Amino acid sequence: MKKFLVLVLAAIMVFVFAKERIVINSYMSDPAPRKALAELVEIFQQKYPDYEVVVNTFAHEDFKVLLRTWLASPKGTADVVTWFAGERMRYFAEMGLIVPVEEVFEGAKWEDYFPEAFRSTCSYKDKIYFIPQSWYWWGVYYRKSVFEKFGIKEPKTWDEFLQVCETLKKNGIVPITIGTKFPWTAAGWFDILNLRVNGLDYHIALTAGEVPYTDPKLLKVFEYWRQIIDKGYLLPNHTAYEWQEAATFLFRGQAGMYYMGQFIKDVAPAEVKDDLDFFRFPIIDPTVAPYEETPIDGFMVPANAPNKKGAIVFLRFIASKEAQEKFAKDLGRLAANVAVAPPDEHAKKGLDMILASAGVAQFYDRDTNPEMAEVGMNAFIEFMQNPDRITDILKRLEAERKRIYGK
Amino acid sequence: MKKTLRATLFYVLCTLIVVLWMVPFVVAFFTAFKTMDEIFMLRNFWSPPKTWTFENFKIAWVEGRMARYFINTAIVTAVSVAGTLFLSSLSAYALAWYEFKLRTAILMIFVSGMLIPFQMLLIPVYRFSVVTGLYDTLTGVILFHIAFQLGFCTFFLRNFMVTIPSSLFDAARIDGAGAFKIYSKIIMPLVKPAVAALSILEFTWIWNDYLWSLILLQSDAKKTVTIGLTTLQGQWISSWNVIAAGALLAATVPVIVFLIFQRYFIQGLTLGSIKG
Amino acid sequence: MKKKLTPYFFLAGPLTLYSIWVIYPIFRTFVVSFTRWDGMTRPRFVGWENFIRLFNDRYFILSLLNNFKWMVGFVILSIPLGLFFAMLMDQKYPGHKVYKSLVYLPMALSFVVIGQIWSWVLEPSGGIVNTFLRWIGLEGLAKPWLSDPKIVTYSLIWAALWRQIPYAMVLFLAGLQSVDKEHVEAAIVDGANAFQRFWYVILPELRPAMVITITVNIIDSLRAFDIVFVMTRGGPYYSSSVMANYMYIQAFHNYRMGYGAAIAVIQFLITLGFILIYVLNVLKREERL
Repeated sequence: MKKFLVLVLAAIMVFVFAKERIVINSYMSDPAPRKALAELVEIFQQKYPDYEVVVNTFAHEDFKVLLRTWLASPKGTADVVTWFAGERMRYFAEMGLIVPVEEVFEGAKWEDYFPEAFRSTCSYKDKIYFIPQSWYWWGVYYRKSVFEKFGIKEPKTWDEFLQVCETLKKNGIVPITIGTKFPWTAAGWFDILNLRVNGLDYHIALTAGEVPYTDPKLLKVFEYWRQIIDKGYLLPNHTAYEWQEAATFLFRGQAGMYYMGQFIKDVAPAEVKDDLDFFRFPIIDPTVAPYEETPIDGFMVPANAPNKKGAIVFLRFIASKEAQEKFAKDLGRLAANVAVAPPDEHAKKGLDMILASAGVAQFYDRDTNPEMAEVGMNAFIEFMQNPDRITDILKRLEAERKRIYGK
Repeated sequence: MKKTLRATLFYVLCTLIVVLWMVPFVVAFFTAFKTMDEIFMLRNFWSPPKTWTFENFKIAWVEGRMARYFINTAIVTAVSVAGTLFLSSLSAYALAWYEFKLRTAILMIFVSGMLIPFQMLLIPVYRFSVVTGLYDTLTGVILFHIAFQLGFCTFFLRNFMVTIPSSLFDAARIDGAGAFKIYSKIIMPLVKPAVAALSILEFTWIWNDYLWSLILLQSDAKKTVTIGLTTLQGQWISSWNVIAAGALLAATVPVIVFLIFQRYFIQGLTLGSIKG
Repeated sequence: MKKKLTPYFFLAGPLTLYSIWVIYPIFRTFVVSFTRWDGMTRPRFVGWENFIRLFNDRYFILSLLNNFKWMVGFVILSIPLGLFFAMLMDQKYPGHKVYKSLVYLPMALSFVVIGQIWSWVLEPSGGIVNTFLRWIGLEGLAKPWLSDPKIVTYSLIWAALWRQIPYAMVLFLAGLQSVDKEHVEAAIVDGANAFQRFWYVILPELRPAMVITITVNIIDSLRAFDIVFVMTRGGPYYSSSVMANYMYIQAFHNYRMGYGAAIAVIQFLITLGFILIYVLNVLKREERL
């Protein structure tokens, strides 16, 4: 009898003094962001001792698969999940699988926290569903010492860019490195070329499935791309390399340039890190305004979250200047919060480049339907290996587009 | 003379094969001891490290939370292997020794379960575990593994059981032994090598299982070693050296199991003596 | 009466568990293959649409052909070599256990790791295979193993065999235990040479192991996934794709669960076809004995 009473008492104690739980499922599996998030959680728990936060981390690819199962599950198991802004987020909002998080701003407005330019990519039907945390830009990365050695200056126009490639090639250096084992790197090239040749509105329409892939304007993009391929400026056998392996050619000074996201710095060896710099992808058509890719990462709340209130409290903390600043500083990224200054020179250059741009896109596989992205990105690789097949490839893509979008 | 020739041939051939076979393994081994900077700056993947660093093993153990995950995986694997071996020996026995109408059909049911690409089972199994409350529990993973391996194990054991001469079975029956006694005292001891081989295979398979631990578990604290390894793989960055170190650590257990159970691969343990 | 029910008592436990966790989900998959479903909203019945699309899908046909290459590769290479290794290393010279354990090592590694290691081994410029070939002067043979669409599947099969052959070896090692030593010795006495002993005594007694190994190799080749997924993800542009890989991409990247289920069904039926023919054949022979 005594034992039973003790048990009951213990159970009551646990119940009464139990902290409210917030479960976060995250794909931030890289060591530095993971640590930063863990530290942020610590700070949060100190500020709000009533809450106990549990962070579950998953490998990126797995997370993408699992997210859907979690969101669609009859019983929710996570309160907050990491994700990307843009079409991929809106897809879930449309299905009612995530909830609006406007309460995060209680009293204040979106603009008090985040840039106006980000608003549309974080909302659906005018409601905010997504809290951005960090973002990064894509640029053409190179090693300063290599450029200096051959007297090369950062090219501003397409012709200058081709010149630079020629100079590098003549000196036995692979002008452009790229790793296309996983095709998203090629999608980066497609996006920026399309933005330079046809502009943002055209690109958005294309990713929304409204433009036929056999459009002559699109063919122009591939014609520019072809110039790089035909002149042999690309790394040989690039389909055998992951993006990281291709980057090693850049680090070792065997390749000259890499069109890549800012996170390339995270992986650069110590001796090379400070030698890395970047420039804006060259302008092809001066009548087209400069647009850039700025994928945005952040958080959202599943509709089946067990603890929605706790989720909002946590997100409010994430959106605050303090949290955003810490995360950005620890990782050298750009914080989404407008009150946070860029953490270093490198980041400032990136920010300035974006501020001087007329608009931003999210990235092919984040902006377009996943099925189209899958077949599209593989088509880009096929084109890179067999440029002569382009008309055939585009015809096939168009057939897929018709099937997927039904228009 | 012939004997030494045979012996030399044995050692030459074996060594050649092993050397060839170990090449990729040596690559992994070297990588596990390199620093990331060295991997990037060196243009090959096969040279010994310039500086041998144990840092990766430390990181894999700590960041990969190996201590916790080893325990989880050990529990899941041990219980699942025991469970599936036991249950499948029962079904194999029934299918090997008894004539009944549904025999072929039931055997085919077990066999066809082996054929399905498991990715397709993901969603129905996930849904089932959520609805029954088994989601995010080691019990759920164990039950699934026991069930899923039944197909192969039943087929495997049955196959070995049919080679046992039926005279043994009949003799025991005449002696008045019940079905269960025959199963446990006569049949099972005779299929020891098969059971040993099966336990090695099943242990390795379940220890290295990735997909089902991924789908059926969520909390970091419950994860298994293979999942822990992949969280070392970043969103952008793959720390190959740490992953290699972690993989080597994780591989030690199935290898030890192999060494332990290998002694059951001794020829003519009991079989030969009975056949006479 | 009791005797008739005995087998069912033994089968009750396993069969129930199996039905819940395996058979029922398989059945669900069959049903889903006739729908259009994104895994989240309600499925929509579309009849044979998925299957019709499959037969016109060039990437699916390509995957199917690749699977057959895998099957041929596995059966022709892993069975004889697995048997050879088993017989070679089972000879009781001192150190044979060490050799066996070393060859077994690849099986102790998870597929993710195996895929990663072989990506390094086959790396076109810095991998050990090409470095070695260049070192001995066979530069022409130093191919881009994983980026040339014409040879990528063969490279993947070889990486898979690194693990599959030890697997076969373990199965044959177990099988060798059921070979009656006395029969072999009797054959020696009768004057049979090594080859005759192998062909007429050992091989027939290895039948249980042989059946398992062939079955397993057929199934594994048609079910190949991990190596492909980790090393090339089916690329470059689907040239190394296999059915399981293509199914995974359709179901979990493109969110076409219905289409993915249809691929799974076809894969299942093809495998079932091969296995049925083989296993029923084996059962028939058992009955004759």
